[in-house]
Amino acid sequence: MTRNRTTLFYALALLGFILLPQLITVKYYLHLSVLALVWVIAAQGQNLIQGYTGYVSIVQAGFMGIGAYSTALMGLHFDMPVWLSIALAPVITAFFALLTGYPSLRVKGHYFAIVTLAFNMVIFIVLMNFHQLTQGEAGITGIPKPGSKDGLFNFRDRETYYYLVLVIATLMTGLAALIVRSRIGQTLVAIRQNEDLVGAIGIAAWKYKLFAFVTSAMFGGLAGAIYAHYQSFINPEIFGVAQSLDAILAVIIGGSGTIAGPVIGAFFVVLLPEYLRFADSFRLILYGLILVLATIFMPRGIVGVTGDLLARLGKRGK
Amino acid sequence: MIEIIQQIINGVAIGGVYVLIALGLTTVFGILGIAHFAHGSVSMFGGYLTFFFVTAWGLPLIAAIMVSLVVGLMLGVLIELLAYRPVRDANHINAFIVALGLTMMVEGLNLEFFGHEQVVIPTDLDRVFNIGGVTIPELRLYVILAAAMLIVAMTLFVEKTKTGQAIRAVAENRDAAILMGVNVNTIPLVVFSISTALGVCAGVMVGSLFAIAPGIGEGLVVKGFAVLILGGLGSIPGAVVGGLVLGITEALAAGFISSAYKDVIAFVVMIGVLLFRPQGLMGKA
Repeated sequence: MTRNRTTLFYALALLGFILLPQLITVKYYLHLSVLALVWVIAAQGQNLIQGYTGYVSIVQAGFMGIGAYSTALMGLHFDMPVWLSIALAPVITAFFALLTGYPSLRVKGHYFAIVTLAFNMVIFIVLMNFHQLTQGEAGITGIPKPGSKDGLFNFRDRETYYYLVLVIATLMTGLAALIVRSRIGQTLVAIRQNEDLVGAIGIAAWKYKLFAFVTSAMFGGLAGAIYAHYQSFINPEIFGVAQSLDAILAVIIGGSGTIAGPVIGAFFVVLLPEYLRFADSFRLILYGLILVLATIFMPRGIVGVTGDLLARLGKRGK
Repeated sequence: MIEIIQQIINGVAIGGVYVLIALGLTTVFGILGIAHFAHGSVSMFGGYLTFFFVTAWGLPLIAAIMVSLVVGLMLGVLIELLAYRPVRDANHINAFIVALGLTMMVEGLNLEFFGHEQVVIPTDLDRVFNIGGVTIPELRLYVILAAAMLIVAMTLFVEKTKTGQAIRAVAENRDAAILMGVNVNTIPLVVFSISTALGVCAGVMVGSLFAIAPGIGEGLVVKGFAVLILGGLGSIPGAVVGGLVLGITEALAAGFISSAYKDVIAFVVMIGVLLFRPQGLMGKA
């Protein structure tokens, strides 16, 4: 696609998202759309490390958990304003990402994936067992919504919250696009293609990998924080390894290493379980099967397949 | 002091299981460059099968393990042929994601066939030996012995047999191995058979020592990889040392600090090794 057509495509997509609440008649679908937008933020982060840099991180849901619990606990214990605690959540998440990324990204190989997976398990264990802080499995209730009741926007209203999340998801998608188009982003892609070569021309690849990982964690932390204030309730259950696999699935299905991919993939992983309700016990098997088949037969995801189709149609038109 | 020795013996038993898992992972990694994440779930599948054959069919334990080995091997070979082979020449990240998908599928299969309840493989090995105040359950002793025997057998196979030589040749240099007439299409199948066999044995050990339940397999495979990080990738002595270090650390942590946080402590040890000896305890710099 040419630059103009790409711009047009994104403008139309944004318009669609703006109109979406007016088109949805069932409240529940609006709820799912909010969740999907939260996942767009998390998946954009996952895409930075997985899609562009070529390193699989299996801790995105864990980082969402750190973000969610950070904002909730800061509000609860320090009486911090909601906007401030949401803004600080990604910073706290980044700290934990540095702690795990630094030792595991300096060495090559699969260490990184394993360390991140183990770290997600650690996060889950701590959230479950550190009762004094996290209240364990029961979770934290009564997390306030941002803004006051009589403010300009009433975020207690679901539709208003949808637009809030839409604004943030759009900004974060834009930020991801800026990063991958910058010199840093070019270096990340170079690392994915040939890390030894990157090292050979005198670039310290691990610094760039660490940057990608910490940034991806901040996206996750922000997504978690927004989720916490939307649901007003969090418990460890949705911050486990299985949900981190969902983030990986979102990137692969949508189209890894593309900006539109995580958006499509996020809606896919949120909506798919809804359609698979009838097959609850088969869900895991089906998910795994989709992941395997997608990787073997369409490694470039929905965006890649659609791109190929459009190109073919374009040729036929001429 | 007796308490410490007691915990170390417990640690050696679970460490032996970790070594078996790690050996299964490191052979696959050495040959195919795949981080075979589904290994833990396959191992649990083997444990579940043994439980099923013992309780539902009334087979003796040894016979049940044998049948489980056969079924487990078929699953392992199918995984290699249907899932890993198609992505063999693609970017290694693809194989890794396939491995994650396989993990979900095998976990799902386990849930579908064997349910959510945790199961313990029944054995009649319930004597307890007492040596100078240290108690050693008979079962634990047999697990340690069996693990040691499997490790020795595996080492001999890789070092002494012709097939073992071919495996090492492919791991060292695949192209050169092809030129020397090694069939690189059958070697992965042999490797997956060995790896799955070790995995099934480890699964039976976990199932009889502790219990099998959903999610245990994922924990186990992470421990297996942690062992490889500790010991150094691609080295059998490294896996043995790494497994014992991890098992004993966990047992001591569970006994003297907190059993809820024993995995957290194991994780901290792993990060520590990565920071100060990234090549692993036994690896060469």
